[in-house]
Parts: sequence; structure tokens; C-alpha cells
Amino acid sequence: MSKYKLGERVTVRDLPSLFHTRTQGFTRGRTGVVVALRPEWVIPEDEAWGRYEGRKEPFYIVRFLQRDLWPDYGGAPIDTLETEFSERWLEPARS
Amino acid sequence: MSETHTHDHPHHHEPIEEKQEALEFTILETAIRELSIEKKLFSAEDHRRFMEWYDDIGPTKGARLVARAWVDSDFKRRLLADGVEACKELGIDWMRPTGFGTPSDYTFFIVCENTPKLHNVIVCTLCSCYPRPVLGTSPAWYERPNYRRRVVRWPRQVLAEFGTIIPPDVEIRVHDSNQKTRYMVLPMRPEGTEGWTEERLASIVTRDTMIGVALPSVDWTTTSSPAEGKN
Amino acid sequence: MVRGMTPSDRVEADLPLTISQEKAEAILHVVHDVGGQPDGPLDKSLHNPGLWEKRTHCTSECLAWRGHWVSEERRRRENDLGQALYLGTPYYARWLLAATKMLLDKGLITMDELIMKIDEVRKREEEVLS
Repeated sequence: MSKYKLGERVTVRDLPSLFHTRTQGFTRGRTGVVVALRPEWVIPEDEAWGRYEGRKEPFYIVRFLQRDLWPDYGGAPIDTLETEFSERWLEPARS
Repeated sequence: MSETHTHDHPHHHEPIEEKQEALEFTILETAIRELSIEKKLFSAEDHRRFMEWYDDIGPTKGARLVARAWVDSDFKRRLLADGVEACKELGIDWMRPTGFGTPSDYTFFIVCENTPKLHNVIVCTLCSCYPRPVLGTSPAWYERPNYRRRVVRWPRQVLAEFGTIIPPDVEIRVHDSNQKTRYMVLPMRPEGTEGWTEERLASIVTRDTMIGVALPSVDWTTTSSPAEGKN
Repeated sequence: MVRGMTPSDRVEADLPLTISQEKAEAILHVVHDVGGQPDGPLDKSLHNPGLWEKRTHCTSECLAWRGHWVSEERRRRENDLGQALYLGTPYYARWLLAATKMLLDKGLITMDELIMKIDEVRKREEEVLS
């Protein structure tokens, strides 16, 4: 059961990273909109470390405005970026 | 994210192709493959089948998807709704060669449609995830750090370096494929292609147009000179 | 960082006694997380994969096909190689080194088996070339 719904605003959690991550640094603390619900899969924190039948959870594609990702974004104000997160990396939007 | 060096002037990075490539990697690969086969970690037949798959993939598959979508709007609808299923209609099987897909390419394939108001571009900033079953192997620049660093933050500049200028009233949407989903761009059909056969349409759909760094052009085809290509 | 690898033009770190916060963050930064870092104009050079590269791809994938690892572990192990190898070797060298280390780490091959086999293959290659 997906915690977040299509169209919901979510913020990427800014947790520490070491050695390996699938949650890009440039998305941490940023807020966007859920635009797709993706199939459940084993989280990268388990797969990457040899637990192939590890914890599964829903994944989400989140769309960000580029001007919300980069303080000095020089492209068009309507430009966007989409990328995918497992549920544990998201929280309800703070803003 | 950290910035380990500043750039006050443009870098001039020569392509780093050594004249005499090290044999180290050839030797090491042979060594681990032979050991793996000796220890039955996989079979010689497994490897042969994967090599066959590797040689079989290429961007003409994606080009055929695009051409079909251009001429058949029902197919386009199916392609956008379920990429893997629609691929089967053109004999492209995301389950090859293992029967459950390739370990690196998975079986989640989303086609991103360009419109007059939206231009899509694909990257994998964290590694080089790429829809190999429909585009073949990725070009070197897609795999190397420069593109991965820059296209997410300066997409218009990077596209301009490919000669692709997108007007500011057209949204550029960058898809950073950081998990199991694989993407391909469905470019807009250019003007001047009315009445073209699917085969001819496919010939102007290059790999770069399906990554999103280029736009299909009617002045150039893979099979005819620019003079012939004009209607 | 690794463009000057030859002794004449590199400045080696030599196990510093302490490092600043800024240096610590830079050196501990997850190697592959490069999105948003500045860089110069794109080098659009293309490269035709050599035979060892195609074979590396297939060997890595066959190991995953038969359950010995998954792609996400391969990517993590490529990061484990560290910045010098990550940025300083060809793309498929990372796949190859990550696969090799995985086989050793999991006891699927032993180090002495590996070095004997490398020695054998090297002699074979040298015979072919001579």
C-alpha cells in the first residue's frame, strides 16, 4: 500500500550518506510532486549490500521544478527534473 | 554535494584514449570468466547467449518504435501506457536473454513523449542506466561524469553543446533514471515527413534523438544523402 | 584529481594527521553522486567497445543471472573502488574490478586461484602476441 498519492507534495529526507546511495545529494531537502507510483522493489540499501530478498517498499517518481533544486538555476522557470525514490526517503512536504 | 574544484576557464579535456591499451583488463576478464565457468558459477553457453544479445541490441529498435508511434496513434497510446508490452509488438523482448530481463536493464520501461511544450532528456547521474534493449549500448559521453554532472543542472547549455536549442517557453524535463525504471524519448515527428514510410521515418530517428540531446532532422538520413532526403 | 598520475606531475597525499571538515566532506562524498557538480564542455568522443569490454559486460551480467550478485551490488562495489579508480579507469574496468573483488569477497574464488589463472592467461596472451 503506497503511503503517498499521485499529486501529493513530498520532501526528500536529508539523511547522511556513506559509500553508496541512490538518493542524489542534489535532491536532499527538496520538495516536489509525486507524478508516478512505481512497482515495489527491494530497497537499494539492502540490494547493494547483499540482501537480495531484503525489505521491499513502494517507489515514487517525483517531479521538481529546477528552480527549486538549484539556487542559481539559469534555465527556464518552467523546467523540471524527475527522479525516483523509495518510500523511506520521502516525507510529507514541509512547504 | 561537494565541489572539489572551480572552473574559471573552460576546460579542454582531450579524449583519453591511450595509444596502446593495457592488456591488464583483457587478461583479468579472461581469468575471471574461465574461473567462473570452471567453478560452474555460470556456463559458457550463458556467456555466449549474453554476447549474442549484446550484439543484437542497437538503436534501430528504438527508432522503429518511434516510427511506428508516428504513423499509428493507437500504437503510440499503447507504447506510452506500457513500454515493455508495446515493444513485444515489434519483436523487442525485454525479458531476453535470461527470461526475466537483464540484471542491469530491468523490465520497467517508460517512453517520454515530446510535445510542442515539453522536451524530455534522459540521464543517469549515479551511473549510466540506459534502456539497452531498445537503444543498445550507451555512448561514451553518457557514461562519463561530465554529462552526468551537468545535464541535470545546466540542461540548456549541455543541449546547446549538441547543437540543440530549446526555446525558453518549452519546458525541458530531465529524467534522472536512478532506480529500476528505464526511459526513452519519443521525439516529435518533424515537418516535411508527410507520406514517408515507417522505414524512412525510422532512418531519421538517431540514438541521440531518443536520449533527448538532439532533434530528428529531415535533412539527413542514414541511408540517403541530404539531397535525396528532401521531399 | 587523477589526471596527473605520473610521478612528475602528481602531488600525493601521504596519510595526513588531520584533515579539515571541508576536505573530509569532499573525500567522503559518495563517489558516484556527481549530479550538479561543475565541469567543462562535454567531450562527445565515441568509443567502440573492445572485446574485453563486451565480455566484461556479459560476465558481470551472467554472474547476476545465476544469482551471485545483483546490479545494485555491482554499482556499490564500483563505488567501493574509490575515487582514483572510479575516475581514472575505463568504464568497464570498474565492472571488471568490482566483479573480481566480489568473487574473492564471497569466497567463490580464492586469491591464489586468481593469481595462478591470471599468470596462466598472461602467458597465453604473450605467446599469442609473440
